[in-house]
Amino acid sequence: MVTRRTAIGTGLAFASLACAAGCGAYGQGVRERRAAQSIDALLIDESIEMPPHMSLFIEASRWALPVIAVRLDAPGQAGLKRLLDKSQALVGISCGATLFCLERIAWDYGFRLTGRSQRSASEPGDAAYRKEVTAWLGGAPAPAAGSSSVARPYRPSRRDGLLHSWVMHRASPRLGQGRGDVSA
Amino acid sequence: MKLPPNVSAADFTAALTQFARIVGDPWLFTADEDLELYRDSYSILWGEADERTASAAVAPDNADQVVELVKVANRYRIPVYPISTGKNLGYGGAAPALAGSVVFDLKRMNRIVEIDERHGYVVVEPGVSYFDLYQHIQDQGLKLWIDVPSPGWGSVLGNALDGGVGVTLAPYRNHFEAQCGIEVVLPNGRMVRTGMGALPGAKTWQQFKPGFGPRIDGLFKQSNYGVVTKMGLWLMPAPENFATGVVTVPKFHDVIALVDIIGRLEQSKIVQGLWNLSSPTTGTPAFAAHESGPPKPLDSAIAAILNDPGGVDMNKLDAAAQSRTLPFWQCDFNFYGPERLIKAQWDCVCDALGAIPGAKFKLGEIRSLPLSPQEQAKTRDLGPFGIPTLKTFDLGPMFSYGGEDVVGHIFFSPVIPRTGEAVIEAMDVFAAIGRKYKLPGPPLQFPSTIFERAFLFAVGLPVTRSATVNAKLRDIIRELVAVSAERGWGEYRTAPAFYDLIMGTYSYNDHALRELLETIKDAVDPNGIMSPGRYAIRPRHLRDANG
Repeated sequence: MVTRRTAIGTGLAFASLACAAGCGAYGQGVRERRAAQSIDALLIDESIEMPPHMSLFIEASRWALPVIAVRLDAPGQAGLKRLLDKSQALVGISCGATLFCLERIAWDYGFRLTGRSQRSASEPGDAAYRKEVTAWLGGAPAPAAGSSSVARPYRPSRRDGLLHSWVMHRASPRLGQGRGDVSA
Repeated sequence: MKLPPNVSAADFTAALTQFARIVGDPWLFTADEDLELYRDSYSILWGEADERTASAAVAPDNADQVVELVKVANRYRIPVYPISTGKNLGYGGAAPALAGSVVFDLKRMNRIVEIDERHGYVVVEPGVSYFDLYQHIQDQGLKLWIDVPSPGWGSVLGNALDGGVGVTLAPYRNHFEAQCGIEVVLPNGRMVRTGMGALPGAKTWQQFKPGFGPRIDGLFKQSNYGVVTKMGLWLMPAPENFATGVVTVPKFHDVIALVDIIGRLEQSKIVQGLWNLSSPTTGTPAFAAHESGPPKPLDSAIAAILNDPGGVDMNKLDAAAQSRTLPFWQCDFNFYGPERLIKAQWDCVCDALGAIPGAKFKLGEIRSLPLSPQEQAKTRDLGPFGIPTLKTFDLGPMFSYGGEDVVGHIFFSPVIPRTGEAVIEAMDVFAAIGRKYKLPGPPLQFPSTIFERAFLFAVGLPVTRSATVNAKLRDIIRELVAVSAERGWGEYRTAPAFYDLIMGTYSYNDHALRELLETIKDAVDPNGIMSPGRYAIRPRHLRDANG
């Protein structure tokens, strides 16, 4: 049973990070928005090293909602599917390759990517980027599906130095709902 | 509303209404944003007039619903295109072969119907992915392994039908060869079971492939003669141990003796695990077409030879390698089973390849199986352990081509003879084309040993969202196909955009094979509704269309 604070698979709790000055402010901002939003979890890409400024932001977000480290390997699949099965809206920070896979897995659970932005992972302390993610965490209205910002293709790459933040909402029935039972 | 070809709006509407009645309204998809998901993300025709997009999609829950859907499609002459999980990106994904077809999305049919540890088989529906089956085996604690392709999110059944391959033991690597028993809904709505499955109450459907009479299972591989709703597959008993043995040989031309000797070991069933060919001299890893990350740093003199714009002078490269005591070739053999079997197989490999002067041997640690979660986390490639992953999506250096972002890849996949001479020739031919068009990838690539008696020489090409660049890439593929066909090398699988091109190369006796396939098509699917154009097999009324 996945609860809102259950991590996916094994070893999924994101590495504990030192919370430097400024972290509390993000946390406060996220907490204040919590009441008005309906995001089920913040998904973090375990396959990449987060820039320090995003790590702080992520750590602060733990106060407001489950932060789940995503692994796309076999141990991570079952938990990911349970999460998709139970959720209505998810935000995430990941590389393009992980987003590409997650987006397609989530399609089968009725999700659609409704917002996305990308930045160079090396840009230190990009305030606009954090603001954007914070707004999504706070339940800011997602752009309509198919809008140009979402439809714009992204490189499904882990090594191009780009970090994507995104939001997905459930929009249709779940084709991939797990059954997998033996019914001989 | 997008209409299927040669279908009136009234007929299409009537058919959709009846589809919805069969599966329930939520499982009929006609909205643009839903149909967007049935595009091939790696389509090399993206956004062009020739891109094959669906007019609707319908998702049945069981084989009985498939039967009813097919009958309706026949009544209204609606072209339909069944997909399993639709994640075979680059080979069509979820997109139909004929624009305007209605996709039969079989993801909801995701039952593992039967799994038998004693006899080592499973029966699955189309929606069961490799991840699903792997998890089921883990949950049940069964001592069985699956052979997984890369990536592992695809359908077990669909991958076999597409001719997919994996990387464990030879009898399991060719997934269609590992199947035993198919249930299929024919285009007229009649359900058929192949092999022993035709016997009501059969006890050996998944144990005896030949059945009685002609073995027709192959008609459903890479074809359009029905909707396969169940498939049995033989599974591998979980092995006790795994080890990798490394053999190096010093000279470039040693590859000829190397391949001949290993071939004898494989034909004798002494070597059954995959062996990978790589080169410590060029730094080219095995499976270079699938590899990612920056190339390993090379000796500057060797790098200069490799990157010579005029081509790689293999004599110079050979001499440079030998002066640095770098072996030219490396073979990594995967072994499975009891420790003494692994050691015995390794002894045979050493005895046989010891005939090549300068050959060196090193058997790695014999690892007890199953791998612990910690060992799994440390292991870069879990495919040889039968564990599905999505690591193939780490596309590494394929960032841009022709000034455009690379959004996917497509494979040119010729089958070449299993000889060292063919390896040398193919390396030379494909490297020249790679240089000519500045394709991403190492200057020299090597073949894959996945098939038992022939090599696969897969060349990965980028896909962009630029029609201009994609058109250039299509021209490159046409050139690769033509150059290969001239040498007697044919592709084993291709993207839908090239079905006709490839089928055109299988032209013996004035295209007698295609004519036979079309004759069968006309007999089993007279209305031409089932996946028209898939693998270039068209019904009579579409023979002159381009799909």
